[in-house]
Amino acid sequence: MSLNFDPSYALEFDFGRGQIRMANASERVIVPCDALLALCQGASEDAVRDFGRRLGTEAGRVMNDRLGEAWQASLETVLEHLGGELALMGLGSLGLERWGQALVLSFSHSPLGWAGDLLLGSVLEGAMQRSFGRDTVAVKLMRDDQKVRFLLAGHAGASKASSWLAEGVPWGDVLSRLATRGVS
Amino acid sequence: MNQEVNKLQELLARVQRNAALPRTLVSAPESSARVEEAPVAAYTAPAYIAPVAEFTEEEMFFESEPPPPPAPAPVYVREFTPPPPAPGASLDASVDELLLEDPFPSMPPGPSYNEVLEDPVRPASVPTARPLDHEDDVSGVVAISEFTEEQPEELLEDDIVEMTATEAAALPTPNNTLDELNFDDDELDAKRSAPPQSDEAPVSSSRSKIAGTMDEALARAAEQIQLEEGREVPLKTPPPESGPQAAVALPAGIHAPLSPDIEELLEADIMPTGGVRAAVPTAEQLGQTIDLEEARGPSLELDHPTASQPESLQEDLPTEELEVTLPGREFGGGYQDDLMPPPEARQELDAHRQRVGDDSAPPPPESLGQYPSQQPAAAYSGGFAPVIVPSNVTTDSYSESVSTVTVDAPPNAEFAPELLARPDIGPSPVAKFIRVEAPRPKTFMELLDSSLALGSD
Repeated sequence: MSLNFDPSYALEFDFGRGQIRMANASERVIVPCDALLALCQGASEDAVRDFGRRLGTEAGRVMNDRLGEAWQASLETVLEHLGGELALMGLGSLGLERWGQALVLSFSHSPLGWAGDLLLGSVLEGAMQRSFGRDTVAVKLMRDDQKVRFLLAGHAGASKASSWLAEGVPWGDVLSRLATRGVS
Repeated sequence: MNQEVNKLQELLARVQRNAALPRTLVSAPESSARVEEAPVAAYTAPAYIAPVAEFTEEEMFFESEPPPPPAPAPVYVREFTPPPPAPGASLDASVDELLLEDPFPSMPPGPSYNEVLEDPVRPASVPTARPLDHEDDVSGVVAISEFTEEQPEELLEDDIVEMTATEAAALPTPNNTLDELNFDDDELDAKRSAPPQSDEAPVSSSRSKIAGTMDEALARAAEQIQLEEGREVPLKTPPPESGPQAAVALPAGIHAPLSPDIEELLEADIMPTGGVRAAVPTAEQLGQTIDLEEARGPSLELDHPTASQPESLQEDLPTEELEVTLPGREFGGGYQDDLMPPPEARQELDAHRQRVGDDSAPPPPESLGQYPSQQPAAAYSGGFAPVIVPSNVTTDSYSESVSTVTVDAPPNAEFAPELLARPDIGPSPVAKFIRVEAPRPKTFMELLDSSLALGSD
């Protein structure tokens, strides 16, 4: 299955009704980015996580609708379709890195900045849950001006990685430790 | 002692002179304080006749060393008191008694002349000295040189000094004056405190006792000469003023350097190196000398190669005789053909040739200026063929990794070398590198599951 992502006519602006529709999806609202950030900063962490997971679930559903059987999709296919859906949302450019057995997803050029990292991580968790039926935890490994990296791991691995990061261990060493412990 | 004898003799002569003079009595009040010697002229005495027969100089006892002074001996400036007239004494007392009186009564008198001789003649009384009391009236004649060793001469009026009490008090302290002046006492104390062995002259002292007479001095001088003649000069330089030391015998095997033979040295200096002796070699030199024979063979002469001179050079020859033109290129130099080795060398050369087995004549020597001549191929008589570069070398390569080189032996060699080659081995892999790649998950689901499994132990 090598279905390319085709964003043509993905959005439909109905000026008579004043509505924006996404293909195969419900209505969208275009809101300013800083207003969304202000809302997220004012809300609780759980609320932001829930908000982000809802966004991710919607993206995962759309990807599944496009791909049909997503569990058989390759790395490139998932990255292409999921990344396309998130790009339509305006959250940034999705990237995929494989560090041994660890799956690392990244966002580049996100307009939300460091303040929207929690929201972005929650979006990924919701997409994995909706697309592949796995409860995942997105652990932020690093962030710079352009990119933010998230490790998708289970609850045990996520807690260990979070504790090591809190101790100041470089994120590369955290991945190495996780790979070593996982092999042994 | 001689001085004392002389002084006594002078005093005796003076007394004899004074005895001839008219005697006058001097009133005591006018000369209440006088010098001690004054009474000599104050008394009239009969003419003295020296008792030569009774006393000789040897019999007279003179205490050469004065007795030790009293412990704190202050300077005594005593008031003169005329000696009280002795019961048996009169103005014309004997001059002998006056002479025998101690002119220095400050010191305790030793055994007097009369006591020694057990003469009942009583010596004249000597006024005892008493310390000066500044409260007393000392306006009188005071003898300043009272403690001098020399006997004072007759004092004149200029010698007499009148002193008041204040002037007397200004005199130096008695102790210091006595210590400075009484040297004989110190010597006496030193002699008394010295051990009895100190009577001998110390070793370090080079002074000898003064001879009393000329004969004694001559005898000592003779002894000294004898000692110096028989004494060896010590090798070790004695320290200064240490006196003569006994030469220490050197240990066995060590001796002083022998004195060089002066005649030999003089002869060596006189005879020049290039003189008569140089012309006559010594025996040692003769033993190492080899007489060289004169050179045999043709005499070498430098000849001008006129034949090889080009004409242009002949014309350009300089007129000066000292200049020599270098020979041309055609003159290659070389050895003369008839140049033969000496007979001794020929014998050795023949023996060498017999050992080697090569009877053939050696090739003529070649000059370094010529190209070496081509040596003919020698006939190989030995069993081993020399190593010759093979004319044919082939390489048979059965595989890429194994190659065999075949060398064609020369046909004249009796024993061809045995060549061994490794057996042929077919091409086979000798190493295998396995690239281990992490299994790439085929689906995104697999990668997600593996990532979720991290850290779950």
